Amino acid sequence: MTDLLALSVFGVDWQFLKPFIVIGLAFGGVYALSGVGLVVLYRATGVLNLAFGAIGAAGALIAYYLINHTSCPEWLAFAVCVAAGGVVNLAYGMVFGPAFARRDPLVKMMGTLGLALILLGLMAWRAPAGGAFARFLPLPSSEHRYDILGTSVSLTQIIAIVLAFAITAAASIFLRVTKLGTAMRALANDREITATLGVPVRRVEAAAWFGSGLACGAAGLLLPDLLTSLDYTALTFLVIASLAAALIGRLQSLWATLFGGLAVGLAQSVATPYASISAYRSAAPFVLAIAALLFLSRHRVVTVSRAGA
Amino acid sequence: MRATKTMIGGAAVGACLLALMLAGWATGAQAPVGSGKASAKKSVCGLGTGKKATGTPIKLGGIDMLIPGVDFTTIGKTAKAYFDCVNDNGGINGRPIKYILYNEQLNPAQEAALARKLIQTDKVVGVVGNTSFAECGTNWKYYKSKGFVVIGAGVQAECYSTPSFAEVNAGPRYSNIGAAQALIKAGIKKLAIASPDTISAYADGGAALLAKKAGVPVKIFPTHLPVTDATSQLIQMYQFVGDGGGILLDFTPDTAPAFMKAAEAQGIVEKVKWGSSTPIANTFMSGQFSPKWDGHLWIDNEFSNVDPSVGPDSALMFAVLKRYAPTIAPQAFAQMGYLAGKFATNALLSIKGPVTAKSYNAAVINLKNQKTDILCKPYYVGKLPYHIPNNTNIIVDYKNKDVVVKNGCTAIAAVDKSVAQTRIWEKKFNLNTGK
Repeated sequence: MTDLLALSVFGVDWQFLKPFIVIGLAFGGVYALSGVGLVVLYRATGVLNLAFGAIGAAGALIAYYLINHTSCPEWLAFAVCVAAGGVVNLAYGMVFGPAFARRDPLVKMMGTLGLALILLGLMAWRAPAGGAFARFLPLPSSEHRYDILGTSVSLTQIIAIVLAFAITAAASIFLRVTKLGTAMRALANDREITATLGVPVRRVEAAAWFGSGLACGAAGLLLPDLLTSLDYTALTFLVIASLAAALIGRLQSLWATLFGGLAVGLAQSVATPYASISAYRSAAPFVLAIAALLFLSRHRVVTVSRAGA
Repeated sequence: MRATKTMIGGAAVGACLLALMLAGWATGAQAPVGSGKASAKKSVCGLGTGKKATGTPIKLGGIDMLIPGVDFTTIGKTAKAYFDCVNDNGGINGRPIKYILYNEQLNPAQEAALARKLIQTDKVVGVVGNTSFAECGTNWKYYKSKGFVVIGAGVQAECYSTPSFAEVNAGPRYSNIGAAQALIKAGIKKLAIASPDTISAYADGGAALLAKKAGVPVKIFPTHLPVTDATSQLIQMYQFVGDGGGILLDFTPDTAPAFMKAAEAQGIVEKVKWGSSTPIANTFMSGQFSPKWDGHLWIDNEFSNVDPSVGPDSALMFAVLKRYAPTIAPQAFAQMGYLAGKFATNALLSIKGPVTAKSYNAAVINLKNQKTDILCKPYYVGKLPYHIPNNTNIIVDYKNKDVVVKNGCTAIAAVDKSVAQTRIWEKKFNLNTGK
């Protein structure tokens, strides 16, 4: 045991590394949560939603407003934050989903980028950054701290990790066992044939938009507490880490996305005490996503054709 | 019966009219903000006549940075509030000041374009209230070529090492030196400094040099904005300094709270001595973090405490903000804007003859011994190769939701040769000696 405590990991004392592992796993849990939402939506609709971060940030801002400017109880504001994610995502899906349905995946994705920019603009307009007060959205769970293996861990961090596993497991079972889940999987394979078989495509897609939006709202609720500030710009761009997690799961595997998210969070955080790579830790999502894609496609046959040959 | 009804109706209408007239009289009778005769106990806006200026406007302009995590527009907005007050008090000999404020997003091309737009297209006679991480570096040569001297609030090296700027603030480098000086005096064994990565090398360099000279091990932690891992970075800094060490945070009120909340969550507020540059020396920050942080802070304040009872300029700043910019909370950035507006107005009022870019900037250069209770020593410009007029600061702390003075006016350590040279010039040319 004494040997373990004195362990040095690439020059950094294990004791010093432990808090970074906890922080990384907690952030990784939230990335995974968002990533799973992204994958579920992509599998059902073919849309890679780049507005996930902005939607979560908007929900968090609404909750902040309700808590600080109305007599709304905290629990209700938190519920509104999660629900807002579902509602905004569903509204976008219902309004723009049919119009983009037959378009290229890239076009569908750019549509969500538009949503992200609109939400970012709205937030900057209604709740400009700067000014007198920094915004916080602390959860009551952050008041509860536990000493685990000599490291202080907050209940929010535990919730983030547990929720990521729970949502991944629930989504996997849902897609495999339920009728709606089967319909979503069928949609992912072929939208036209699924529609021909009598599956209510619009309704199934709506469920996917709403369900993934709830995951996004939950991430938006947890992140400000983990970040110790409600900075909607930072929250909006944290979608990059979730996107990396989803890419590690090749936009198919929920469990690979979960572990991808945890890996991204860990890599970002654990790199902090290493002076030589600390400045580059924000590149961790890209590096891991590229490495995973290269590794996963190593046995693929590449076909090259020459025009006019 | 009909006549009675008409009478009652007429009386009611008359009463309403009378009430309206009385209300109008009461409003009109209210003395405008910043009016009266200036004295040692009373500051006024410009001429203080209480009459609206109606002549041809005199154009001034400014450029402030606005990026996620940092909002410097408060400075320009407060300068504008002061000019609005001047305009309601006779303006510049009857001519109102028209202040044009542009925002930039830390983009050198945008900064260069906006400076040219102000001077060449908008035809401003002077540039006032600028604050940015990079604008001084981008535009100092252009301002010099046009003979402009900017009264603003500086951040980067060029704001304090070129002739084009005479900043009302000390800036992050000198403010950090002041905070590090206080922390070292308080007995810290190690020092960790964190600043935005775009200014870290300059802003933290002086404090690091001071610590090294004092034999205190020091490490700099450049931070990318917007900050997304305050807890990780804070733990890293704490692991370096250990219990009883010093952590110096150099962030605006947009970013510093993330670190302070993280410190609370990690339970290390009481284990470390906390230093900071000026931006968190205000009651809206102390209101959020007191009493947990009471007694644990050594904040270098480049200005007097933000309190209307400090003196006439502080009182006037509060009144100007309340009347002309009610959304801006009294804070260091507001003090910067107020001072920039006040000194630019003083320069304009000192001009004999036509107000042109040439006469205004010559008047700016002639400014000296500008006394104010917001600064430890009088402000000045002078014909110098660079200007560091704000080099004597106070140290403040939080107490019972308020900001209190911990150490009075202290000259910041002359780690840089330029500060030592500045103090020689101050004496030689009587720039702030009151002579």
